[in-house]
Amino acid sequence: MEIGLLMLAGGVAAGAFGSILGLGGGVLIVPLLTLGFGLPLREAVGVSLVCVIVTSSASAGVYLERRQANLRLGMTLELFTAAGAIVGGAIAFLIDERVLAGLFAVLLAYVAATMAGGLRGRAVAQPAADVETPPSPAEPSVEPPEGDEGAYRADRMPLAAAGSVGAGVASALLGIGGGLIKVPLMHLVLGVPLRIATATSNLMIGITASASAIVYLVRGGIDAYVAGPTAVGVFVGATLGSRFGHRVGQRALRLLFVIVLLYTAIEMAGRAVRGG
Amino acid sequence: MADLGMHGRDADLEPALARVLQVGTYLSISAVVVGTVLLLGGGISPLAASPALQLDRLLPDIIGGRPAGFLWLGILAICVTPALRVVGALVGFWRRGERRMVGVAVAILVVVAAGVVTGLLAG
Repeated sequence: MEIGLLMLAGGVAAGAFGSILGLGGGVLIVPLLTLGFGLPLREAVGVSLVCVIVTSSASAGVYLERRQANLRLGMTLELFTAAGAIVGGAIAFLIDERVLAGLFAVLLAYVAATMAGGLRGRAVAQPAADVETPPSPAEPSVEPPEGDEGAYRADRMPLAAAGSVGAGVASALLGIGGGLIKVPLMHLVLGVPLRIATATSNLMIGITASASAIVYLVRGGIDAYVAGPTAVGVFVGATLGSRFGHRVGQRALRLLFVIVLLYTAIEMAGRAVRGG
Repeated sequence: MADLGMHGRDADLEPALARVLQVGTYLSISAVVVGTVLLLGGGISPLAASPALQLDRLLPDIIGGRPAGFLWLGILAICVTPALRVVGALVGFWRRGERRMVGVAVAILVVVAAGVVTGLLAG
């Protein structure tokens, strides 16, 4: 009972902080389950994917309702992210968990560095910010600007498609939504406005994580007893975070999280070196 | 690829797809909540070995009030919800006669189905 409640509480914390900081759930859930509850990394990735789908579906629904997501672009690119996710799902069961831990350590260090860059006020594109977070109900709807329709760089689609395959592979290997890759890809490569890129990425995350999760599900890589409390916690936390997150001081929270992420990155790197 | 930026053309389709996602999310998370309450209420540790997914056990487990039945039902519904959104888009584009987007939607569903097949073959 205590472990279940702790798992639920951990999910609430991961969902809330992820939502407030604009981080995808996976970046927080995988370390929570591996370092906090001693789960094998691959099992944690499977559970994380389920949680990522829940938050993505909930937020993508809101984004679609507000007409912030580009359905056509999202569907075109998710064809490639889904293909990448299938490949990544197959690779995940072939490679050593130590390699996965090493890759996750790199991901955590990257996210921490991006957040630290944001703290210093540098003009860094914010792949870690507002990438996979559910939109606040209080947030005003943003209509696509007039004349925006032809502005996207459709001629660069092959590059975006290749990057989307990479996002899918990363999603399946690490249990993340892949928004860290998709948002910069759409924004910087295709010239999609950041807000629309964020919303469209959220829409795509559902299918990407779903394609990955199905591979884990079929191969017995998802533990229902762990997924239940964690997914409920993440859903509640993300809902609370999106509603009340704007009341929390962002700077101190980000600073705290840079420290937490760096510590977690070191722990994951230790797992990669030591194993287990 | 020419009409990828045609953001406003799907204004009639998007609210319906939003509802699919929202209803799917709430139904699936409801099943997971019931399963979690039964799990924790029954004093079962989440770290105990959970029963593997067996589709033929799903209904008996749900009728029997066992947590695994509700948890697996919810997890399956969570995984299927995004694909249902694609099916909804497929129907919408089909009605409009937009063959290219119908093709994209079909291709996405084929890729997801390929994931099931490769998982079964490898597992």
